Amino acid sequence: MDELRFSARVTSRPDGQADVRVRKRSFEVGAPLTFDNAYDGITAVEQLLGSLGADLVNGLLNRAKKRRVEIDSAEATVEGELDNALMYLDVVGEKGTTAIKRISVRLYVSTFATAEAVKAVWAETLQRSPLANTLKRAVKLDISMKIAI
Amino acid sequence: MAKPIIIGAVLYDPKVSVIWDIIREFFDQNGCPCDVVFFTNYELQVKALMDGQVDIAWNSPLAWVDAQRQSKGTCRAIAMRDTDQDRVSHIITRRQGGPKTLLDLKGKALAVGAKDSPQATLIPVGLLQRAGLTPEKDFKVRRFDLLVGKHGDHIGGELEAFKCLEKGEAAACAMLDMNWERWSGDGTIDPGQFGILATTDRFDHCVFTVRKDFPKALEKKWLKVLFSMSYDNPKHREMMDMEGLKQWRPGRTTGFGPLSEAVEKQKFFKKGR
Repeated sequence: MDELRFSARVTSRPDGQADVRVRKRSFEVGAPLTFDNAYDGITAVEQLLGSLGADLVNGLLNRAKKRRVEIDSAEATVEGELDNALMYLDVVGEKGTTAIKRISVRLYVSTFATAEAVKAVWAETLQRSPLANTLKRAVKLDISMKIAI
Repeated sequence: MAKPIIIGAVLYDPKVSVIWDIIREFFDQNGCPCDVVFFTNYELQVKALMDGQVDIAWNSPLAWVDAQRQSKGTCRAIAMRDTDQDRVSHIITRRQGGPKTLLDLKGKALAVGAKDSPQATLIPVGLLQRAGLTPEKDFKVRRFDLLVGKHGDHIGGELEAFKCLEKGEAAACAMLDMNWERWSGDGTIDPGQFGILATTDRFDHCVFTVRKDFPKALEKKWLKVLFSMSYDNPKHREMMDMEGLKQWRPGRTTGFGPLSEAVEKQKFFKKGR
């Protein structure tokens, strides 16, 4: 079987954003990261964190549907921490890298299903998550799930 | 395009870089392009200023004293914030049962900030020295060395010093007047329990510093743009609020006496940093 590849085409724009085209859809990404709360764009780092959260939230709901476990909704808060953010700003004398060193995900599930059923689907979700499985090889990944009725 | 003027600044928090982005853009828009180089500590920044790698250094008061020391008094202090002028530090104690005079600190502990903090360590310790007390002989110095090298830019050391007083592990602590006002206003400090025992002489804080060979014409052009910032202009106000000023003022060198005296008495540069 040929290797299945997924692709995106990314094009710069004069305003500092980039257009990302995938299949017949597109979205925009801004600077690699920002320290300015008023920055008008979504950074690459924020996209990464959002993508991981979406992978887990949507992955969980898709698998729950498949296993006929009823879940009303799920919400994830995702936080990432750089090894040394000052390196991004070229601060003379700083040490370290701009790599993300730690990501924590807190996932909250709203459901009347049994905890046992939800936990089984959640375990399956983690086993099959493309992003969680990739990132756990590169960063300290701390993921937890809590059931809320 | 004219060659940009290189400004040096010490950065302890990435969010502070946003202020410098605004300043850089402002100077660009006003025909005086600047680039900003960030340093992790003032020692590196002063070295870069001396070596000609930066044209203008945004120096802490201690970095100013160091630059003057290294340049044999030839640097120029060209601009500072209104809020950099005439600051004081307070010695804070408990109102009930605390020392009533500086001499009452004999045999007790004074909690201070980082070892290179002018406002939270060097100048307040200097005040006790003026009163005739010798550190580590007449009184113990409880130092909170947070982010050494950044000259007390980060308020963490001062706050830890106050907590030390609050826990009863020191008889007094030192802090900048602005922090006393802020913390006694926001509930961090209960002014009913803690009060000011003594206050230092007035001193000046940060200052834009240039070497003697920085061209006067370029300095004039740069200062003209800097001084054109107005707190009445909403676009300028955002940055000025972030940087904590209402007006840029010409630099002066008359406000570094208490620090120079403290550095000398405490042999700060001789002891190594």
